Amino acid sequence: MRTLFNFWRKKRLTLLVLVTFLAALYISPLLWMLNTSLRPTWDIYRYPPTILPRKVTLENYVYVLTQMSGFGRYFLNSIVVTFSTVVLVLIASAMGGYAFGVRRFRGQDLLFTGVILVLTIPYIMYLIPIYMMEDKLGLQNNWLGLILPYVALNLPWGLLIMRGAFSTIPLDIRDAAIIDGCNEFQLWFRVMLPITKPALAATTIITFVFAWQEYMFASTLMTKNQWQTLPVGIVWLRDELQTLVYGRIGAMVVLTIVPVFILFLAFRNFFIKGLSEGMLKG
Amino acid sequence: MRRRAVGIQWCPPPFLFRNREAVISQRRKRYIRDRLNIFIFLLPTIFFVFVFIAFPIGYSAYLSLTEYNYARDPAPKFIGFRGYIYTLFHDVFFHDALLNQVKFAIPYFIATFTFSLGLAILINELVFGTRFFQVLFYLPMIIPLSLVGIIFAWVLAPDIGIFDHILRWMGIKNWNIDWFGNPYTAIYCLAIARSWKMIGFTLIIFLAGLQAIPKELREAAKVDGANFLQEIFKVVLPNLKPYLLIGGIWILINSIKTFELPAVVTEGGPGTSTLTLYLYSWKLAFERLDMGRASQVAYITATIILVLSWVLNRIFRPETARRA
Repeated sequence: MRTLFNFWRKKRLTLLVLVTFLAALYISPLLWMLNTSLRPTWDIYRYPPTILPRKVTLENYVYVLTQMSGFGRYFLNSIVVTFSTVVLVLIASAMGGYAFGVRRFRGQDLLFTGVILVLTIPYIMYLIPIYMMEDKLGLQNNWLGLILPYVALNLPWGLLIMRGAFSTIPLDIRDAAIIDGCNEFQLWFRVMLPITKPALAATTIITFVFAWQEYMFASTLMTKNQWQTLPVGIVWLRDELQTLVYGRIGAMVVLTIVPVFILFLAFRNFFIKGLSEGMLKG
Repeated sequence: MRRRAVGIQWCPPPFLFRNREAVISQRRKRYIRDRLNIFIFLLPTIFFVFVFIAFPIGYSAYLSLTEYNYARDPAPKFIGFRGYIYTLFHDVFFHDALLNQVKFAIPYFIATFTFSLGLAILINELVFGTRFFQVLFYLPMIIPLSLVGIIFAWVLAPDIGIFDHILRWMGIKNWNIDWFGNPYTAIYCLAIARSWKMIGFTLIIFLAGLQAIPKELREAAKVDGANFLQEIFKVVLPNLKPYLLIGGIWILINSIKTFELPAVVTEGGPGTSTLTLYLYSWKLAFERLDMGRASQVAYITATIILVLSWVLNRIFRPETARRA
C-alpha cells in the first residue's frame, strides 16, 4: 500500500514538472518579448545576446507613451472601433438570437445556416467588394468603415451563442410574461435578456478579443496612418523605424496585450465556454 | 427544438363571440403584428448579413467572371470562366501558393494536434493548478496574429535572436540561421508560429472532450490492471474520437486562412516561398488592383475550404452521431 502511495505521488510530481516545463517552453517567446521591452537598446543589440538583462529599465515604455504620438492614436482607434463593434454585436445578436432561439418563422434554418457559413468562407472574399463599396461611399479612413464590417464578421459567433442561450429558456416564462401583459419588446428586454447574461458576457469577450486582433480588414480599409488600429499600426511602425527598435516594439506589444489580458482574466470562463460552444457546433 | 408559433397575446376562441368576423380579422391583424415583430428583431442581423456578407459574396462571384483592374478599367469586363482556367492551369504563382499551403498545413496540423492533445491529457491528469495552466496555454489566443509574427521574428532573428543563441550555447558552433529569410525554413517557421496561437483553441475542444468522458470508464480500466499508457490509448482516445475530429477539421480549415503571419513577417518571400492562397489573393487585389483574378483565387480558396469541410463532415459524421 505504501509503495503504491509513493508511486502515485511520484507520478503526480513528474506530471507537474513536465507540465510546468512545457508551459515555460510554450510561453517563452512572450516572456522573451517582455524581457526585451525592459532592456535599454544597447543591451538588446549587443552580441552575444544574454538571457537575463544587464540593466532593467522602463525607458522603452516611457518613450512609447510620451514620445510616440502614433501609438496613442492607434490605441484610441483600437479602443473606439472595438468598443463600438462590441456594443453593436451585442445589440444585433441579442435581438437576432431571440428571433432564432425563441420564435419560429419561415426560412429560419436557411437563414441561420447562411449566417454560420460566414465563419468558414475566407474573409478575403468579402474584403474585395467591401473595399470597393467603401471606396465609393467614402467610408475609408473612418471609424465607421471598420466598425460595420467587424460587426458583420463577428455577428455569427454572437448569434450562435445567443441563440443557444435563448433556446434553453423555458417557454413557461414567456407565457407567464404574456399573461402579465408584456408586449414582445418588454418580454425580450425585461424578462429574457437578464436570463441570458452569461451568454452576453461570452459574446462581449469573444467579440472584443476578435475585433482587437483583426489585421486584414484594418490594414486594407484604413490606408492613412492616423486611422490605423494597433495590430496594424505596430507593424507599420516597425517597417518605418526598421533598425534598433525592438525594445520599443516589445513595449508596444506588451501594452497592446495588457487590456485584452485583463479582460480575458476577468471573463475567461465565459470566453472558454462561448468558444467551445461555438466550435463544437460550428 | 422546434416550437409552436404562438401568437403573442392570448385571445379567446372565436365561437365565444357573437361578432365572429371581427374577431377573426383581429386575429389576422395580430398575426401580422407578430410576424412584423420577428422581422424587427431580425432587422440588424439581416442588415449586416446582407450588406456586408451576402452582397459581397454575390459581387465577388460576378467579379471572378470578369477582367477588372480597379485603377484602370472603368467597369468590369465579362469574360466568363476563362479567368478560372487561366488561374487554375497557367498561373505559376497560384501553383506555388497551393504548394505552400500544403507545406504549411502538414507541420501546422501535426504540431497543433499532437501538442494540444498531449497537453490536454496532461492537464486533465493534474490534481491542482489546472486553472493556472489553462490560462497560461490560452494566453496566445488573445495576442493579435500580427504581433505573434513580430514576436517570432524577433525570437528567430539571425545573429542576435535568442533561439539561435541558445542552440549555439548548447554546443552547435557557428550556428546562425536566418529562419525567416531562408526559403527552405520560412514556411515551416510560420507554421510553428501559427500553431503556437492555435493550440489554445484545440486545447479547449480536447479538454471539453476529456471532461465528458465518464470517470467510471477510466476507473474500470485501472481496476482491470491497465497502466497509464494503456488507459490513454485504449480507453481515453477512442472515447475522444468525435472531439479529435472536430479539432482536426478546425485546424485544417484554419490552416488555409493564413494571411497575417506571411504578410507581416515575410511578405510572401523569400521569392514565393511563403506565398499562401490568402496572401496571393490579397496581393492581387490590393497591390495589383486586379479584382477579377483576386476574386478567382478567393473563390477557389473558398471552394477548397467548403469541399474539405464537407468531405470531412461526410466521412466522420456517422461516428459522431453514433456517440452523441
